[in-house]
Amino acid sequence: MLEKLDWLDDPRVFRVGKLPAHSDHTMYQTTDEIKQKQSSFTKSLDGDWQFHFSENPSQRLIGFEQPDFDVEQFEHIAVPGHIELQGFGQIHYINTLYPWEGKIYRRPPYSLSHDKSYKGLFSEAADNTVGQYIKTFTLPDNFAQHDVHIQFDGVEKAMYLWLNGHFIGYSEDSFSQAEFDLTPYLQAGENKLAVEVYKYSTAAFIEDQDMFRFSGIFRSVRLLAMPQVNLVDLFLKPTVDKQLHTGTLSMSLSFDGKLTGTSAKIVVQNPSQNIVWQETVAISSHVTLSSAVIENVALWSHKHPNLYQLLITIFDANQNIIAVVPYSFGFRRLHKDGHNRVTLNNVPLHLNGVNRHEWSPTGGRNITMSDMKKDISVFKDNHINAVRTSHYPNQIPWYNLCDQNGIYMMAETNLESHGSWQKMGAVEPSYNVPGSIPEWQDVVLDRAKSNFEQFKNHPAILFWSLGNESYTGDNIAAMDAYFKSVDDSRLTHYEGVFQNRIDEDRISDVESRMYAHPKAIKDYLTNHPQKTLFKL
Amino acid sequence: MDAMTMNELHVVYGDGTLGLHGNSFDYIFSYEKGGLESLVVNAAEWLYRVPKLTFWRATTDNDRGSHFSTQSAAWFGADMFTTLKNVSIQVDDENIGLPIAPDNNRFSNEIFAKNVAITFSFLTATTQQTTVDVTYLVSQNGNITITVNYTGTTGLPELPALGLSFIMPEVADGFQYTGLSGETYPDRQAGALTGTFDIVGLPLTPYLVPQEMGMHMATHSLTVKNAASQQTHDHSTSINRLTFNQHTQPFAFSALPYTAIELESATHIEELPLPRRSVITIYGAVRGVGGIDSWGTDVEPEYHISGETNHAFDFTIVPFQ
Repeated sequence: MLEKLDWLDDPRVFRVGKLPAHSDHTMYQTTDEIKQKQSSFTKSLDGDWQFHFSENPSQRLIGFEQPDFDVEQFEHIAVPGHIELQGFGQIHYINTLYPWEGKIYRRPPYSLSHDKSYKGLFSEAADNTVGQYIKTFTLPDNFAQHDVHIQFDGVEKAMYLWLNGHFIGYSEDSFSQAEFDLTPYLQAGENKLAVEVYKYSTAAFIEDQDMFRFSGIFRSVRLLAMPQVNLVDLFLKPTVDKQLHTGTLSMSLSFDGKLTGTSAKIVVQNPSQNIVWQETVAISSHVTLSSAVIENVALWSHKHPNLYQLLITIFDANQNIIAVVPYSFGFRRLHKDGHNRVTLNNVPLHLNGVNRHEWSPTGGRNITMSDMKKDISVFKDNHINAVRTSHYPNQIPWYNLCDQNGIYMMAETNLESHGSWQKMGAVEPSYNVPGSIPEWQDVVLDRAKSNFEQFKNHPAILFWSLGNESYTGDNIAAMDAYFKSVDDSRLTHYEGVFQNRIDEDRISDVESRMYAHPKAIKDYLTNHPQKTLFKL
Repeated sequence: MDAMTMNELHVVYGDGTLGLHGNSFDYIFSYEKGGLESLVVNAAEWLYRVPKLTFWRATTDNDRGSHFSTQSAAWFGADMFTTLKNVSIQVDDENIGLPIAPDNNRFSNEIFAKNVAITFSFLTATTQQTTVDVTYLVSQNGNITITVNYTGTTGLPELPALGLSFIMPEVADGFQYTGLSGETYPDRQAGALTGTFDIVGLPLTPYLVPQEMGMHMATHSLTVKNAASQQTHDHSTSINRLTFNQHTQPFAFSALPYTAIELESATHIEELPLPRRSVITIYGAVRGVGGIDSWGTDVEPEYHISGETNHAFDFTIVPFQ
């Protein structure tokens, strides 16, 4: 077998066979489909799945992914949804300490010394519950001849994936989309998808958010048919001149598929739905455009969330439409001057924000569009203009809602290791992760990359947040450097550097403080502050 | 592990807790909350919160007449707001202090012991403060012997009560005890019979104005039935029992659905909330209830509890019979 159970124990293994993160656009076959918000390239797999629950890895059903496995022992579960809210396992809440506190003694691999890797730490653990999911599906007729991907929007905390008995991939990072290519093992007629979900892996050390501790496939799952020409990634960089008069849009597009002779027509409409720019380009694997100049640009802000509409139409060599891709974007000028003053559209930026968890009293972190719309209406009723996605990437529609409603976003990466550095109220980082431990760097950089790549085109995002309450060190500094290397249009945010100011100069563009007394705020601001201050 | 087959305790040195695990029992002591936070036997949880020192009793009509509650009002605050000051641990009779991070980095998941004692020292929320130590000694068979030591301090008023309350997550189906029949107090027990008694539910004495009630003096053993919460999705109907046994001396107890503060707060019986939990209090000292006249005179002197002298009591929780 390709797959190994001890990946659960190794912080260096967090993605196997998982496709690179990319922008969150949707491809449609026709413009009519855009209006109906229903892409025929997409097939939802949400709904009833077969399910088997085990108290720990040693009790799981071996070979359940095989097509001829007898599923008599399987029950049913709704996807999306938490395992613990559907009749299995134990509902559990804990704040800062790790969920195995007092039950099992654990230390993060490599944290106390570079030779300590703790064999079987999670793969042979008594407390690591396992959910085995099976879904059979038959591809829609229009998926024939297409490559097919699968997208998991959220799975806690580690998952293995098989199709028709063949291993496809492994993924951690509960709150970022995981996409895999199913094409090599698809068959005509019925296909068997098998997913094995573990409550714990080394990811649990860096997903110690103060919240109910759940597991399972808790966000949507879908199949995607890849058009002959697939827009893999879209990176829009709208900028505005100092006078706030002229907007310039540069863009970078990555394509995949049979590209010879194909072309893309790119049209930009202003908020009044007038076409302000268009161009047709020949498609190659990377297309870069930097010439879209828009005069009298309508700016995006909280009070006036003006959105421009981009429409990319992909044609084959015979000028037949292969696919259309819509995307909304905005022009705004976020600027930090030499005196650390942050302005948006030349006006000092004032945030009246909230830290928001995704939460429903009935579904837990499995929330719906109606839950999100209700939160937006609460924001409006209370004059809230900003949100921090505490403490992980949220569902994609939330970013669209913030774009449309002018809510400034602090887009937080899925990282919190509170239990590794704060104990009994004291700062005690003796086994802190990610810290400066080399084995823990790639995994947090991957989380930063997933956050950036997926959400980079949303005008609402003004800040990339590196995570929450994870202390400091080289690896968090590397995350900060990563965001700066890929995005010069936004600021970085991280509160934890306050706990040890040794990394202050290389982590976070802003001074972020939680629970600070007004006097402490005053002291900071009156003593030659190095950064703009946010009170969270 | 080999040690498991020898039935030793599996000791987990956490960052805020001490875990002690054995055959079908799991105990977690919280250093921050000040006591046994989780008492799981056969996968059922017996504790809703850590056991709480109890210094108050709901004012009796005679207390009101003699102004006792006013004179001892400090203990009302102490009952609510007494705070933890220190924790120390003994493993196989060796004192190891409080091994929190980074000191506990030296351990592993393979630590075993024959017995572990953990002592929580509290400082009373009274103007003249004193300390009360609660020690839990856990043996490898799961028995927990609890010793409470109150340090007498000059200037402290008389205690309405001295006990340790176990708040259990569910309303018990009932309890069985070996001791004295009926409701008894130090000055109201002469007519009681000795024996073993089965009580259904957690009966209240139906005072129109709720007051101290339900005491059972001179008890050798108490078994509470079905006050534990099962795991979220465990729908089995097996009966769970937890037993409190006399250690060096018989003990007094009450088994009610309310704390003394809840009883005190209800001006009439209909103001009591719906029963939600079980409050099992083991007492080391109980104040009498009767005055020499019908109303107005204090309890006879020998039935007072001095705040100025030491008091100690102990008992053993037995998870398996």
